[in-house]
Formats: sequence, C-alpha cells, structure tokens
Amino acid sequence: MSSIEQLKLTFFDECSDLLQQMETGLTDIREGGGSEDTVNAVFRAVHSVKGGAGIFGFEALVGFAHVFETVLDAIRSDRLAITPDVVDTLLASGDVLADLVGMARAGETPPADFGADCRAALQRLMGEDDTVVAADDGAAAADFDDIDFTPVAVNLDDGLAGPQTYEITFRPHPDMLRKGSEPLDILRELRKLGGLELSAETDRVPGLPELVYDQACLGWTGKLETAVPEAEVVGVFDFVADDCELAVVNTTPPPPVPDLGIPPDIAAEATPVPPAALPPVSDAPALAAAPEPKSESAKPDAPKAAAPAKPAATTTRVELEKIDRVVNMVGELVIAQAMLGQIVQDLPESVSARLVQTLDEVVHHTRELKDSVMSMRAQPVGAVFQRMPRLVRELSAKTGKKVRLEMAGETTEVDRSIVEQLSDPLTHIIRNSVDHGIETPAERLAAGKPEEGAIRLSAGHRGGRIVIEIADDGAGINSERVLRKAREKGLVGADASLTEDEINNLIFMPGFSTAETISDISGRGVGMDVVRRNIQDIGGRISLKSERGRGMTIQLALPLTLAVMDGMVIRVGRETYVVPMSAMVECLRPPRSDIHDLVGTGGMLRLRGELLPIVDLGSLLDVRSAAAEDDGGGVVIITEAGEDIRFGLKVDELCGHQQVVIKSIEESYGSIPGISAATILGNGRVAFILDTEKLYELAALQSPMQSSIAAARAEAAVAATRN
Amino acid sequence: MPLASALKVLIVDDQNSVRQMTRMTLGEIGIRLVHEADNGATGFQTATLQPIDLIISDFNMPEMDGLALLRAVRGHAAIRKLPFILLTGRGDRELVMKAAQAGVNNYLVKPFTTAILREKIEQVIGKLT
Repeated sequence: MSSIEQLKLTFFDECSDLLQQMETGLTDIREGGGSEDTVNAVFRAVHSVKGGAGIFGFEALVGFAHVFETVLDAIRSDRLAITPDVVDTLLASGDVLADLVGMARAGETPPADFGADCRAALQRLMGEDDTVVAADDGAAAADFDDIDFTPVAVNLDDGLAGPQTYEITFRPHPDMLRKGSEPLDILRELRKLGGLELSAETDRVPGLPELVYDQACLGWTGKLETAVPEAEVVGVFDFVADDCELAVVNTTPPPPVPDLGIPPDIAAEATPVPPAALPPVSDAPALAAAPEPKSESAKPDAPKAAAPAKPAATTTRVELEKIDRVVNMVGELVIAQAMLGQIVQDLPESVSARLVQTLDEVVHHTRELKDSVMSMRAQPVGAVFQRMPRLVRELSAKTGKKVRLEMAGETTEVDRSIVEQLSDPLTHIIRNSVDHGIETPAERLAAGKPEEGAIRLSAGHRGGRIVIEIADDGAGINSERVLRKAREKGLVGADASLTEDEINNLIFMPGFSTAETISDISGRGVGMDVVRRNIQDIGGRISLKSERGRGMTIQLALPLTLAVMDGMVIRVGRETYVVPMSAMVECLRPPRSDIHDLVGTGGMLRLRGELLPIVDLGSLLDVRSAAAEDDGGGVVIITEAGEDIRFGLKVDELCGHQQVVIKSIEESYGSIPGISAATILGNGRVAFILDTEKLYELAALQSPMQSSIAAARAEAAVAATRN
Repeated sequence: MPLASALKVLIVDDQNSVRQMTRMTLGEIGIRLVHEADNGATGFQTATLQPIDLIISDFNMPEMDGLALLRAVRGHAAIRKLPFILLTGRGDRELVMKAAQAGVNNYLVKPFTTAILREKIEQVIGKLT
C-alpha cells in the first residue's frame, strides 16, 4: 500500500470520529442544547472533514462540506437562528455528509446530484445573495495575496529571539552538597548562556564554629542577559530543581509592538499572553513554588483561548491485528500457567510449597495482564449507539410517527468484537419499536400520551456483564394477538395456560411475526428469533418486559469479553467441564432430605424455603455419574439461566476455579446444544464450556411430564423463550 | 540562505492525516526535521521547549486554535519572532485578515502542492538551499 493510500485510511478513521462528534452535537442541538460550544464542535468536525477531503481530492465531499460549514458558521456567529427548520436541514446534511464520506471510502464517485436537495436547502438558509457560498462556487482557491503579511525574511543564523533579561534567584537547600550537586558548576553553566551578574546572599552563613563543611549556606540573586529561550535557562537547574529554591523570571520589557505592524487594539489583546497562564510550558515546578509575585500577577490577564478546558487524553492508534496478537499470547500464557499449576500440584509438597507461592503471583499478574489487554480492545458502545439517531429519524419520517431517541451510558465499554456484532440486533430492535411499538400521533393523543413517542437506549455494567436496554413508551405487546398467532402456528398447545410474560416471550420463537401488515421496515422474514440468536452467538441473553399500553423494554445482557473468562472446572463421571462463573450463584452439597423426587424430572431442591428444579448433568449429557449411582450427594451448583430462572446443576465434583481461554468449536463441529465453546486445561486436555441456559432448555425438553404432552410443549416453548 | 535539511519545522494540526501529508510534502522539499503537535496548547509547549525555526499551524483545532497559538507565540518573549504560517481552508478571508493583524507571516490554503509550500516558506524565511 502506498503511503498516500495509508494516509487516506488514517483520514477515514479520523472521519469516523469526526462524524460521530458531529452526530452527537447535532443530536444535542435538536434536543435544544445548541450552546455555542456544541455548534462550534459540529463546525470544527465538518471543517476538519472538509480539510482532509481537500487534501485527498474528494471534490464532492469538499463542496458539500463547505456549504454545510458556511451555515454552521452563520449559526455560531449568530447570523442564523436555530429554528426547527434549520435543525432538520442540519440533521439531513449530517446524513448526506456521512454518506459522502462512505462513498469516498468505498472509492465510489457520488452521482452529480447527490444531496442536491439538501445542498439547496442549506443555500436557502443562507439566502441567495450570500457571498461566501457564491465565492466558493466561482473561483477555485481563494487568494489573499492582497493582504499585507509584512513577510519579514528572518535570518535563522541570528537566533530568532532578541536578548532577554531574566531575574534569577537561586538558593540551594542545605543538603544540596550532600546530594552531590555543586552550585558553582551550575553558576558556570549559567554564565555560558550569556551575560551574568550575580550577587551572593551571605545572611545564611553561620559563624565559623557552627559552619558545617557539607552544608550549603550561600544563595545568589542576579540577572542573566541571554538569547536562549527561558526553558533552556531553567533547564540548567534541572538536576537540582528539588534541592533548591529557584525562580527564573523573564523581565524583558514586552516586545515593541510597531515592528510587527499590529494596530494598537489588537496588540493589546495579543501581547500580554503570559507563559505562566499556559499549561505546563516553561514553568519548572520550582518556578511555580517560588515566592516571586511577578509570575503570579500576570495570570488574570490570560485570554480565554489560552486556558484549555481539560488536558487532552494522549492516545495512539494501534492496528487491531497487533492487539489481537497480544490477546492470543495472553490466552496461551493462561493455558501454560494452568499447566504449570498442574505440574506443581503433582510435585512432592517439600518441593512445591515455595513454588505455589510464586505461582500464585504469576496467576495474579496474568489476570492483571489479561484485564489490561482486554481494556485495550474495549470500545465504548457509543460507537453503535451513534448510528441509531439517524435510524430513528429515517424511520419516523417513513412511518409518520413522532419518535424521540434518548441515549444513556454511551461510554460503557465492551470488547470490540461485541460492539461490532451489536449493530444488527440493535437496529432490528429499534426498528421493531418504532414500527410496532410506538403508536401514531393520533393514537397516542387518544391514549392520553404525549404526541411524541420516546425510545430510551441505555447501557451499563451489571454483575460482570454489560446490560443494554431498549425501552419504549409505546403500546406494548398485544398478548392476545401473540397467543392467537402462536396457537395458529402450533407453537403453543391449544389449552396451555401461559402467563402474560410467557406469552410475550413467544415473539422470540422462530417463525413468529404478528405484524398485521408487512411493512417496509420490519416484518420481512427476519424476526426476533434472529435477534435472539445473534445475541446468544456472542454469549449474551435477551429478555423482554411488556406492559399493555405503557410500552416495552428489551434487555440484552452481554459478556465483557469473548476471549478469556472465569470458569469453574467440574467433573461428572470421567468427564471434565467448565461452568462459567458468571452463571453461578452458589455451590452446595445438599443433604438427601432436601431433595424431593418428582416423577419425570431430576428432582427439586428445597433451598431456604424455595423449590428449585435440579438438572442432573450426568444423565443429561449421558455420561456415567457417580452422583447418580449412589443416588444422592453430589454437588449442586445453583445456576442462573436468564432473568428470574434458577436451577440446580448436579455434578460429581468441583475441581477448582480458573481462568480459561475460550476456543470456539463452532467452525469445526457446528453448534452443539448445551456447549458454548471449549478450552484447554492445565493437564493439556480439552474441556467443554457449558451453556447453562441451553442445558436448562434441554432438560426441560427431555423431562416427559405426566400430565399432558401439550403442557410439556408449552413449558418447553416458554423455557426456550425465557432466556 | 537557510539550509532545508537543517530547518526545524513544527506542524500543528488536530488531524493526523493532515500532519502526515504536510510532513510528506515538507520531505519533498528536503525538510526532514519535523515536530508535530495536535493542538495549539501542545504546539506552544513544543515551540517553547524545542529549537524550532518555523511553525505551520492549522487554524481550526480544539482546545486552542491556530490564532490563539499565533498570539501566544507573538506574546512570548523568547519565541515571538518565530516565523508562522497559517493553514486555512478556502474562503477564510476574514480569518487570514485577523491572522495578518496578529502577525502571521504567511498563509497556506489546503490542499497545497509541493511548489506552493516551497514558495510560501521561501517568502517567509528566504530561498532554501
């Protein structure tokens, strides 16, 4: 790849960030938060896109960005008021700009009339006689050669600055000599910089009897005339800055203004920029601490522009591939470390005792290493959220419904691979909400709701998982219709009695679609079952709550990472499995008396007054189980399978908690129910990672209920949809 | 006559792509000692701490824009005579006027060619060798 191509990629990366900033700003403006800063930020983003596009020759992009920018400029300089009409045009322009960037990135040439409507709307806002727009359409690059720059040729050999006078105060602390620094050397260094006039302060010198030979007691004050920058003067004291009282103050009179040809009013604004008012520039720490009033007094004059709001985070762009390599290596490290642990365990205790301690440290560090690498891969979910306002805008335009999108928690970070796979499910859920959930303005008013519907998209951490919620205040699910449909399609037995929640969850069943009219937006074959599968594929689960007439909430619970996880290694018969720690609630060895047999099930466990179904892993996976044979005992792991569903998983033995590397088996073996992935254990053997929710479904399917087969089917369907 | 290969230039722009492109173009006229800063404040810091011979700065930047940087440089005793070229988009006449009043030495309209860059630099510091 040529370096220009590489630069283009950099530019498009920047564009993604810039477009996101623009979108955030525009959304703010729409919500009525069009402060000067917001408009400025949008302007800057559009302007930067234009600048880069110009360099790389994307003419269509430059042209449109220019018109867009002109309007934004008019807004920020109060020449144009923000009216709803203006907001609509800005939002539409943002979309066109994003599309143009997309085309440029794909190497397509946009059609000549692309975004022409929008462009015309922007130009209308500015009025037809606007000179700036006209100027751009006419001449190519503007020329400002008529402006007088007084381009003084500067002789570089002279040094760029005239002589400066610094007032220097230098008082070594008594222990400076003992630290091996020699004040005299420093004064000699200083003399090399220019004309130095010093006088010694002798008032700290004690009488001869008290004089300690290695305690510094002299101080110096004086003037240095030099052409070198202040930083270099301060630099002389670099090694002793902590061991002395130091002040270096530039006392050169302000530069004579006329020599730059600046009119007095601007000069007044321009000249008194004191270095002290700027971020850590030439101020050595010692200088700030110095009791000199001069550097202090200058501060209040600092112009606004020179006071940065906050230090910008220092970042560096790293190719994703490189990070992935590190992630893989950490994975291998985790495996190697588990193997080491196994070996240590098999050693005689006299040898292993000390090793164990060191190994514990290695385990600790590996975990930290893993966490830091994972945080490098983490990305705020805002990256996906940012695409949604536009979606909602387009949808509400198409459906004629009024919808407002609120977002919260955009900064919540998730592994990059999860963020990437969130886009489709979220898009689909929001489409559904606008299409089926939110009512038309007339319906809403009739129901006593505000005309404008609201969808709230939020993200946050909850119990080691990321939870994303999509809540709307629409009509909610029409459960009668859902049940009728489910019966028609044979998904539910005719006489099964289901709770409202259970019915609502039927919409996740494959082949389910209730939209009375198939619209352009949703209801084209891709149903909520696909959404559920997508979420499950990335190790998440989806749940739903609906209230008739009040709206519905869909919740996605996602794992933090896809590469390494905390697991409990368990044994059933001769097989070893891993249960994800995130699914475990507690482990116990229940007395036989607490387990109640129930024909056709694995039994029920009475736990603190609550009855939980038990799933016997040995019989479910058809591996011989010691626990099953001696009928009782065994260890029961209380496991969570989705919202509000808990069950006991009966296993033979817990082998220990460890970090496991998730190795996908889907490519080689396809999807196996009940197994989410595999991992390599310390002894080098492969162990399957269990999918506890699927196990619960499987167990429910296998248990032949006595009463009626229809009920069992309904139960299974509900269990299947509950997650 | 300034030696291109000895000339130390500071590029200030918040966009990495523009900085890289400018760096490449400078390379074509033999200027290879290039510092970069991604906004006015860091640019100012670099200008005061490093031996810089010429600043090429964008105008539109977060934190501290090009004009504020120019004013800060012109107001700082040690570097106030530092040659300063402002990078602008098209149509920013008003801005160039303001910059001229604040003591900018020249301007450069994005996008620029190698020849234009050379011409503008030479107008400011003399013929390059």
